[in-house]
Amino acid sequence: MPAQEESNETKRESLRDRLKVKNLKESSRLLTKHPHIRPILDKRKIDIGKIRDRSARLLGTSVATGMFLFAPHISFDYLPTPDELMEKISRPVNNIETDINTDHNVLTATFSSVLPKNQRPLSRNEEKVLEQVIQQITGINARATLEGEHLNTSYGYIGAEQHLRRFPGDTLGQHGEGQILKEGMAPGLGAWGYFANSKGEMTEELEEIERWYAVVQTLYLPDWNTRQPYLKNWYKYRKVLIVNTDNGNAVVASIADSGPAAWTGKHFGGSPEVMDHLGGPRYKKGPVIVFFVDDPKNEIPLGPVEYGKIIPRLAEDG
Amino acid sequence: MSKIFYDHLIIFVDLHSKVKEIAEIEEERHELYKIIDEIIHHRVLGRILDALPKDHHEDFIDRFHREPHSEELIVYLNEKTPEEIDIENHIREDIEKLEQELLEELADL
Repeated sequence: MPAQEESNETKRESLRDRLKVKNLKESSRLLTKHPHIRPILDKRKIDIGKIRDRSARLLGTSVATGMFLFAPHISFDYLPTPDELMEKISRPVNNIETDINTDHNVLTATFSSVLPKNQRPLSRNEEKVLEQVIQQITGINARATLEGEHLNTSYGYIGAEQHLRRFPGDTLGQHGEGQILKEGMAPGLGAWGYFANSKGEMTEELEEIERWYAVVQTLYLPDWNTRQPYLKNWYKYRKVLIVNTDNGNAVVASIADSGPAAWTGKHFGGSPEVMDHLGGPRYKKGPVIVFFVDDPKNEIPLGPVEYGKIIPRLAEDG
Repeated sequence: MSKIFYDHLIIFVDLHSKVKEIAEIEEERHELYKIIDEIIHHRVLGRILDALPKDHHEDFIDRFHREPHSEELIVYLNEKTPEEIDIENHIREDIEKLEQELLEELADL
């Protein structure tokens, strides 16, 4: 093994060992300080360290059965219908620029009406309203649940990610120029490794996937470990629509990495190009919705959603 | 889908960068993310029980186990803990210390 690799391996082992020791210390400290909880935990077979797995199972079941566990006091009768939302802002005719601005306004008005104040997984009803409004405005068939799969959450914070190494020997300078290189290159590989085995095997399509890549929390899916390799293949380069709920900017991206960790305050990640389009060069974190794109014929291009352009193209195709 | 009622209080940016820097492969990163997650849950529960009167511990653990995502747990804790304690600030303070402890522990890597 080359010296560099050996050194990295040693570091990884050391990191893992130290974290495991720290975990044991914290667990032991909890039970030493509060010994009366041990029988309570034992009796109910509660493993506090694994509470996130339990949450994933509970919430996963609630999505599958249509039962919504969040904010039970909310009555969904008060959710406006997509038609009501569209009528709120009348569309000017024959003015493309104003139409585009209006589309942004309709989307942001919809988000204000439908989305909860604090980020949380959305109910099926909330997701349905958003799916319909998005389809009417952008022409994109975006779905919170596709082929039975549902993301960890469809509403949360997105954070800035770095460029991913696409092939052995890839360098930052080959990813473009100017401001877009500022985030740098991720030290590790994406969830599916290199995009190609060599520079010669890179294609335009793979370049686009890295340019417009998204990161989602597949690691917290309740069935991630039990449904392999199906889920890993299903999520690989899966198209998603990401919409900035503050300004309505939208991007079609491709899932190319897994994360971020739950303890970062973020739920999704975006490549430098994705983040730049969603919120500009200084945009590092913000609220978004993320839906799968139902695009079996691979017709929807990756990249910024240009309002007013997708509907006519799909209409012609259809 | 997973959510713990105190997730919004925990933002470990520097630690995340450190783990990503060292663990290059997805599976390794996932394993480390989960160990850190466990550390956090042990620490936060301890912090909560420190503030919550002992006669509510069993009830709280039951509620937490039943609905670990429920935002109502914050309301419950604010009701049951002494008036001068704001439970979110109480957790946040300790969690900030925890990130520093972990970073110090890993500083030489």
